[in-house]
Amino acid sequence: MLQLQPNNLLIHTTLTERLDPAAVPLAIDRIVTDYDFTTYHISNLENKSQILVSMSIKCFPDLRKYGVDGVMAREYGAYVTTPEAGYDVSLLLDLETTSALSDAVRAELVEKVSYFKRNAMAAAFERAFERFDVLSQESVAKQVDLYAPENTSDEEILVLNYRDDEQIFIRPSFDRVTVIFSTIFKDETDKIFGKVFLQEFVDARKRAVQNAPQVLYSHKEPPLELSRLGVKQEENKGFITFVLFPRHLAPTRRENCITHIQFFRNYFHYHIKCSKAYMHSRMRFRVSEFLKVLNRAKPENLEVERKTATGRRFEH
Amino acid sequence: MASINTPAVVMGTGTGLTKLGLAGNDSPSFVFPTTIATRSTSASSKPSKLTYLSGKSSNVASKRGTEDLDFFIGDEALSAANGPNYSLSYPIRHGQIDNWDHMERFWESSIFKYLRCEPEDHYFLMTEPPLNPPENRENLAEIMFESFNCAGLYIAVQAVLALAASWTSSKVQDRSLTGTVIDSGDGVTHVIPVAEGYVIGSAIKNIPIAGRDITLFIQSLLRDRGESDTSLRTAEKIKQDFCYVCPDIVKEFTKFDSHPDKFAQYMVETTQQRKVVDVGYERFLAPEIFFNPEIASSDFLTPLPTVVDQVIQASPIDVRKGLYKNIVLSGGSTMFKDFGRRLQRDIKDIVKERIQLSERLSGSKSTGVDVNVISHRRQRNAVWFGGSLLAQTAEFKSYCHTKQDYDEYGPNIVRNFSLFGVP
Repeated sequence: MLQLQPNNLLIHTTLTERLDPAAVPLAIDRIVTDYDFTTYHISNLENKSQILVSMSIKCFPDLRKYGVDGVMAREYGAYVTTPEAGYDVSLLLDLETTSALSDAVRAELVEKVSYFKRNAMAAAFERAFERFDVLSQESVAKQVDLYAPENTSDEEILVLNYRDDEQIFIRPSFDRVTVIFSTIFKDETDKIFGKVFLQEFVDARKRAVQNAPQVLYSHKEPPLELSRLGVKQEENKGFITFVLFPRHLAPTRRENCITHIQFFRNYFHYHIKCSKAYMHSRMRFRVSEFLKVLNRAKPENLEVERKTATGRRFEH
Repeated sequence: MASINTPAVVMGTGTGLTKLGLAGNDSPSFVFPTTIATRSTSASSKPSKLTYLSGKSSNVASKRGTEDLDFFIGDEALSAANGPNYSLSYPIRHGQIDNWDHMERFWESSIFKYLRCEPEDHYFLMTEPPLNPPENRENLAEIMFESFNCAGLYIAVQAVLALAASWTSSKVQDRSLTGTVIDSGDGVTHVIPVAEGYVIGSAIKNIPIAGRDITLFIQSLLRDRGESDTSLRTAEKIKQDFCYVCPDIVKEFTKFDSHPDKFAQYMVETTQQRKVVDVGYERFLAPEIFFNPEIASSDFLTPLPTVVDQVIQASPIDVRKGLYKNIVLSGGSTMFKDFGRRLQRDIKDIVKERIQLSERLSGSKSTGVDVNVISHRRQRNAVWFGGSLLAQTAEFKSYCHTKQDYDEYGPNIVRNFSLFGVP
């Protein structure tokens, strides 16, 4: 498994099972997790045929600022209902209405619900990309000098506090969108694995994939784009900058781009862990090889001088 | 720290099945076989004598790329192994982890692909079999803390969790961690005495009769009768849907013979055809092999009630009453109807006989021994459910060893966990 799937497998399987018209409605009350302190709660509302899917995301207050409610209404339409207490957003699926849908439509609905978190997080990116559209059109109209030093002060930087002390910054500009992740390494070795892993990103761009977005990595020091937000430098913090160019932001690619970039932090930490697991298997292999060598190195029969209890030697 | 608020992850990895889920749920989110399909290594590298010197021809070292991520677990592994490129392996043997490399990757996929959680944000409750060597615990902790940086870890003994799961039964009045656990899965049945949360290791007994033997026994009965479908799958379905435990085997036989309508029929439906399989004596005969093993096996002849009695008699004398009073069932093979009732009756008989004998010999009156077998609704996933129950309590996280503790003291801290759940 090289990539993490953007949708939630458990929600997908549970709902496929439950929305099947042949299935008997059963009571359900289940908690499901996702990355970055996201919790889903699948439960019954009034009776067994009403399934309520609620989600809480840590950065929901930020997302609300960037118009998540609009995105939810667009994606889930009539299914959106008043949020359950303790959760940020809820969908109500009624088995009586869903069973009337055709199989394909129902499968599509389940698929869509399994992308619940992805769609919520997408709100901020969509907002930034729309701003990029506006800015780029303005720049054409105003004939902005591409080589002039950029005026950095006025454009709003979108901030998502998606984890404790870790943020995503999105900064739209007229010719690109910059996405900066700040991430914390819990472990000293993670930092080193992370550095090597990101180096590979930079190298891959040099060698093979020229049209990939540019990736910059800085450890401790926040990139200059964030200077006016007053982001402090910290010992365990790393900043990863993606520069998305217009070709990544083409309307056909936009959705795909959002899906991939928002899971970057999980992808990154997943691979750090995988690399560690791989190193461990190498280490285990090495140890067992060395043990074999040591076992072979044991002397077979030691010639010991034998003495009697009183210390006299045996004569041959 | 925000990981305090996230639900704890409960992982029960057994020889046959792995159960994954989050604390607070009443059933595991995922139940799949503990198996991993890895890309089979090509036979190109021949083992040479100089392997240990160069290290070049070793399979692990020659890997460059992402082969280590090319694997499947669980049901996907089973289907992948049907193809040409993958080979299947079962990393757990007899309840204990055999291949740590595979297990580490198994967990990697369980956590990230199936449960979708960042281990840094969650506490983990893992289960271990009774008599697990402490070295295995340390290895487990190394993987959980060093590879996955998990926030906190608690390793619980399966039998203790099964006891905790029985608290949901209405028959249980006090939430004690003393009792005898009968854990019968697919491969083996254990009888484990637990006194105040500690397993009495010297008294544990294993019975080589479990779910798979029952299925095979049903299959042989079907074959003897010449049914149209005698596949293992059919036998298993009959076991799950029709079998029950009878109070008296002779009476049951006559009952069956006088009322032929007792014989059930089972429909086997495949995509191609429909078959009808008669279900007869095996309905009550199959679970009977726990009580009369001689009808199915020739080498193990002690009935389950006798084994339970022996186990309790081998335990320290001051806990025996508690062990008789709280006999808890766990695992899929204890799910037969009236299994608990029959077991209770048989153990009671044995105990009564012994008491009568001692009363006759000593001439004094005994105060009597309570025998209680507890069945409950969560029996199938009792261990996992017990874990979920304990891990959702507010104090659970204070009993875990955290990543900070691990970094401070090293892997040997997991040799001891304080018991929780005892009021």
